[in-house]
This record gives sequence, C-alpha cells and structure tokens, in this order.
Amino acid sequence: MRKVIIIKYGELTTKKGNINLFINTLNKNIQTYLADYAYEEKHDAGRMFIIPNESAFDEVLTILKSIFGIHEFNLGYETTSKELEDIAADLLPLLKEKAFNTFKVLTKRSDKSYPINSMEVSRKMGGYILKNIDNVTVDVNNPDVEVNIEIRKDYTYFYFDKINGAKGYPVGVAGKGLLMLSGGIDSPVAGYLAIKRGVKLEAIYFESPPHTSDLAKDKVMKLATKLANYNNTYVKVHVINFTPIQEAILKNIPHDYLITIMRRMMYRISKRIALMENCKIIVNGESIGQVASQTLNSMNVINHVVDIPVIRPVACLDKLEIIEIAKKINTYDTSILPYIDCCTIFVPEHPVINPTLEKCAEYEALIPYEDLIKEAIKTKEVVKVSTVNKNTNSLL
Amino acid sequence: MIYLDYSATTPVNDEVLDSYIKVTKEYIGNTHSLHKLGVASKKLYDEATKQIADLFNIMQNEVVYTSGATEANNMAIVGYAMANHKRGNHIIVSMLEHPSIYKMCEYLETLGFRISYVKNLENGTIDIDDLRNLITEETILVSVCAVNSEVGVRQPLKAIRQVIKKENMNTIFHSDMTQAIGKCNVSLHDVDMATMSGHKIYGPKGIGMLYLNSKIRINPILQGSTKFDEIRPGTVPLPLVVSFSKALRIALTNIDKKESYVKKLNDRIINHFKKYDNILINNTEYSIPFIINISVPNIKSETLVHALEAKDIYISTNTACSSTDLSTSVLAIYGDKKRAVSTLRISLSYLTTSDEVSKFLECFDEEYKKLSELS
Repeated sequence: MRKVIIIKYGELTTKKGNINLFINTLNKNIQTYLADYAYEEKHDAGRMFIIPNESAFDEVLTILKSIFGIHEFNLGYETTSKELEDIAADLLPLLKEKAFNTFKVLTKRSDKSYPINSMEVSRKMGGYILKNIDNVTVDVNNPDVEVNIEIRKDYTYFYFDKINGAKGYPVGVAGKGLLMLSGGIDSPVAGYLAIKRGVKLEAIYFESPPHTSDLAKDKVMKLATKLANYNNTYVKVHVINFTPIQEAILKNIPHDYLITIMRRMMYRISKRIALMENCKIIVNGESIGQVASQTLNSMNVINHVVDIPVIRPVACLDKLEIIEIAKKINTYDTSILPYIDCCTIFVPEHPVINPTLEKCAEYEALIPYEDLIKEAIKTKEVVKVSTVNKNTNSLL
Repeated sequence: MIYLDYSATTPVNDEVLDSYIKVTKEYIGNTHSLHKLGVASKKLYDEATKQIADLFNIMQNEVVYTSGATEANNMAIVGYAMANHKRGNHIIVSMLEHPSIYKMCEYLETLGFRISYVKNLENGTIDIDDLRNLITEETILVSVCAVNSEVGVRQPLKAIRQVIKKENMNTIFHSDMTQAIGKCNVSLHDVDMATMSGHKIYGPKGIGMLYLNSKIRINPILQGSTKFDEIRPGTVPLPLVVSFSKALRIALTNIDKKESYVKKLNDRIINHFKKYDNILINNTEYSIPFIINISVPNIKSETLVHALEAKDIYISTNTACSSTDLSTSVLAIYGDKKRAVSTLRISLSYLTTSDEVSKFLECFDEEYKKLSELS
C-alpha cells in the first residue's frame, strides 16, 4: 500500500470534445511545477494520480494546491489487492485514527469485470467497519467521514479526505493575454483572476525614468514574481520607457486631459505589443468609478483606441474585495510600498471625468504620438520573471 | 595543522568568503540609497534575508542582524527586559549559559530585576520541575541555550517551551542557538527569540542574528534608529549579511549526515579516553557529538593545551571566552570544583578527518604521559 494524491478535474469534464486539450494542458503544467521533484504520474478514467517521494509529499501537495484546473484532491491509498478482506485490513487502521461517530461508504467500480457491484462492496465494507470500530453508526445523509473506495483496473484506491484545489482552468488553455501591470493593488489581482480562467499572461509595465525610480520597477517585478507562481512559473514583462510620451503630453496638452490621453497612449502601445506577442486580449485592473479615468465615460473614451477585447476582472469588485484577494495571493504587502509610478507622478488637480472623443483627437494632434509610440516599442526591454524557487543567485 | 577547536570558531568556507569578496567589490551602494546602486544592494539584501527566513520558516521582518551572538543575546535579554519591565521583573536563565549571559544578568540585577537560575539534572538538561516552580506571574523571560558550549548538552526546547507557556502564557522564551546551528536540527518555532552567530558556522566573524518573533517588542541597544532599522540602527553590512546567509544555507544542509559522520569520530575519541583511569568524561547522553569535554585532574589542562599546540594541534581548556576560570557548565552538572578547573574541550567538525583524529590521539598519549610523570 502506498500514499497517493488523486486529482479530480471538476469543471474540465464538462468540456466534451476539448477535454483532452484541457487535461493535456493541465498535465504539462503540473510537470512544469513539479520539475524539481521526483514523482510518479498515472492516468485512469477521469483521474490523475501523483505519487511523490515520501519525503517531499507535503511540499508537492502544497504546490498542487496552487495549480489552476484542479478541482479537488484526495489523499488516498493505493493497493494492488482487490480482495475486500485485504482492503479492509489496510483501511481499518487508518480509519481508526480519525475521530468520528457516523460514516458512509461510497464505492466506484470502473473495472466492470469486478464480480461484486458497487452497492455490495459498500455494504460489505460498512459491515467490516461496524464490526471493528466501536461506537460508530452509518449515516448516509450527513456522515462525519466518507469512506471512498474506487476499484480500478490494476489497483484499488481508498480515501477519506477531500482537499479543495485552486479550481479554474489550466493556465494556457484559453490562450495568451497581456496584463497592464502597475505597482498598485488592482492590476495584480486582475492578472490573478485572468490566469485562473486559463489565460497565460504576459505583462506590460510603463516606466518614466527619472520621474520613476528603479525601486518602483523592482516592486513591479516582485509583483510579477508573485503572479509567476500561478502563471506556469514565469511571467514575461515588457518594460516600456514612457518618459518621452509622458513629457510630450505634459508640455502640450491641457492638464485636465493628462490622464485620459496618457491612458489612451498606454492602450495603443499595449495593443501593439499584444499583437506582436500573439495575445488575444488586454487585461487590466480598472474598476468602475474608482478614479477619474475609470468613470464609464472615461473608460469609453480610452477604450476607443483599441479594437481587441479589454478584460477587466475587477471592474465590478469593491476596493475591499480586491484587497482581500490581494492579501490571499500575497501581493498586497508589495503593492502598498510607497514608490511613485508613472500613473501617479503627474496627477492634475482636476482631471476630467467626462472626456470627449473630439477633445482627445484635438489634443492628440498636438503631439507626434505615432513616432513616439514606435520609438517606445522599439526600445522596450523584456524581462522574464520566474518564481524564486530555484536559487539562481550564486552569491547566496 | 590539526584544528580541533571548532566550537570556539570555525574557518570560513571558501564559497562564503568568495561571496563576501564579490559583494564587497561589486555592491558598493548603501541599501538605503535611492539610486540604482542602492536599489541593487537593497535587492540583494532582501534576497539574502528571504533565504534565511525560508530556511527557518519565519518572516523576513523577524530576522535582525547583529554584530554577533553577544549583541543578539544583549538585545534579547537586556533589550527585552527594558521594554517589558512594567509587565514583571523576573528573569530565569539556566546554569549552562555562555558566560556573557551571566554578566547581563548581573547588570539587570543592578536595575532591580530578579534573576533565578534554574537547576539542571545530572544529564545536563533543565530540571523541568524546578523551572515550573520558578515561573511566576512576574516572570517575563526565560533563556536557555539550545546546546551548551562546553559540554555540548542539548536541551529539549519544545518541552521547555510547553512548560513555560503553560505556567505563564506571557513569559517569553529565548534560546542562544549559537552552538546548535548546523550541528543539530532546531526549530525556531519552539522559541520566541533565538541567537545565532556567523563565525561558528564557517561564516565571517562580525555578524550574528537575532530571531525576533514579530509579536515581541524589545528596546534597541544602540540609539539612532530610523524607520528602516528600528531595532538595530546603522548601515547594513551587506557583504557580511550575504555571506552569513550563504553560510547558514550550507550549514543547514545535510545536518543528519554531518552529525552521523562526526558521531563516528566522537566514538573513537571517547573510547580512547575511557582507557585512562584518571580522565573523566564530562559529556552526558544529551551531548551532541561535535563537542567532547574531559577533565584531567592530575595535570594542568592549560599546560596540555600548550604542549599540543607545540605539535600544531589546537584544542581548548573550557571555552575560549573564559579560559582562565573554571568551567561553569561542568561545575553545574557535576558540582565538583576540581573537575571543573581541569577541563579540556575537543570540538569536532564534519571537516575533521579520521587521520587527524589518529594523529591527535597519538600526540595526546605522548604529552599526557610526559606531563603525568611530572605531577
């Protein structure tokens, strides 16, 4: 008998014709995450079995808990015997360690050649349990412990414990998206939520040296590292030098439109990077009404410059709800570090909350933005941010 | 040279020294500077601290770098007492601590604190019943070293913690782990504060660390702090921090393997000493194999140290920190003054070779014989 982790796919099994794409992606992702561990992997009708080395069992389990596309785990045991007496001999001592009053036995028999049917197996196993463990009774509706037995072709499995997985879809199954990543609280959360739905993310970050510092950039890279934990271990970050554009806007455009025009430029650049990188959508952390550039009017005018979908996963969340997720994914403490980023350096006293397309066009004609955008894309820097699992710093 | 005084200090690991030199030359920025040199230094500092935090499963803000174990012990004991004197004035320490701890206690006594010394059993471990009786409402702190520096007795920290917390939830438990790190497995979750030192784990001299649970407030020993360095002000000694972090990582790798290797050397030496009627072995069943302590009542231990030194073999009398006095630990365990003034400590490392042990035993026999004839 040995300990195994049984993975259940959940929502993935509703995918019918595409199910193999989903499951293959998940398998590949699991292999990426567990690259540093020795383990055995098996597949059988709707289940995946991971058998890590005993010493790394808990570590592997912790990693699996953060992988999207896994609905639920069971910590189970695998035996080669199919004799009910043998199974009971393995099962009873483990069950005795649990404190419970009521139980039920659930059996699945995917090996239909097995002579006894599922109901009968459950009934017999229930009998063994009642005979061997004192003061317990059967309760089929609301049991303290659910004893699950799965009789499969080569092995029998049993388990009692269910652990929630990260749910969602396997990363990458939906294709790629480009996250507009700032140093704030919202955009990492937006990124996380998009990843959860199977979007493999790349990120774009706008810096304005010398107005913004390396500390601010470093902070964004730290946030990207946290997202890398979910994004199949790495995030490709496109760093755009936004200074020439920002200074041109500052010099030439009425200050109430600064933010509106700035966001429009960022959108234009993001769209082009997205196309270059085969990203089908832009993802960002805009939340309706949170700041002047996020009124519906502003969003409309800003969104106008791109013709690919812009997904805003936190658009309808309250700030406190966003913060709650940020804390859960460990980005909050980094996000609140007080470094100025390019969205906050030049904030006009009275930004326009109802901008118009006509005004935007009129003002943008004052700057040679097409050239500036091309230059910004030409000089972009690409940083591949990985999870810090592997110690790459030889100094340490 | 045969160096058998690893508990006094250790030679720096080459890889660790390499990091020290590289960081000194390549990371010149102050971690508090705004420019990119400063940012690079800060980043490296954070990585080094994160590595330590991960090694011990603690938070980064629970790592406080110090100049060494003595400073860390000062922070833990004096710093804690100063910040929490309103909650009580009673402190308990064991009788197997590093001598500097007793000096701190004497100082605190002059300020009105009451110090109790918990007894130990014959095997050197803390007398749990005595500890239980000593703890009162007024007890703010208990300090017991994880491994004693002279006899190598390892304390059951988890059990001690349980007793402390059961008697008084608010009493804080500090442990000086200087001699334990890298030699046996310890968990920082057994204590609230812990002291470590770089030079005992093949790291550089001049750096140590205090693990300070984030819920605990202590007064800084040095004044002049800013918001960046509330507890220990001063420019971050980045080369020391990075090389200390590396030394810790290496020290905490393969502890079990190192321990079982050293145990074999230890067995050989102990069995050899057992052949002498006049030599008393001071280790107990709770001693770690890295530290061997014997008493040679018929000759002057200091003379033996110098005689071996002439043959390029280095051992010590009791500890390097109090070589002129008697061994307080041996006295605490055996209550025999004569035994306590004639101690010799041979401290081993996973670097010690079997040949070195043979050579040492051979020379020891020679010198011991010569000196015995004189007495």
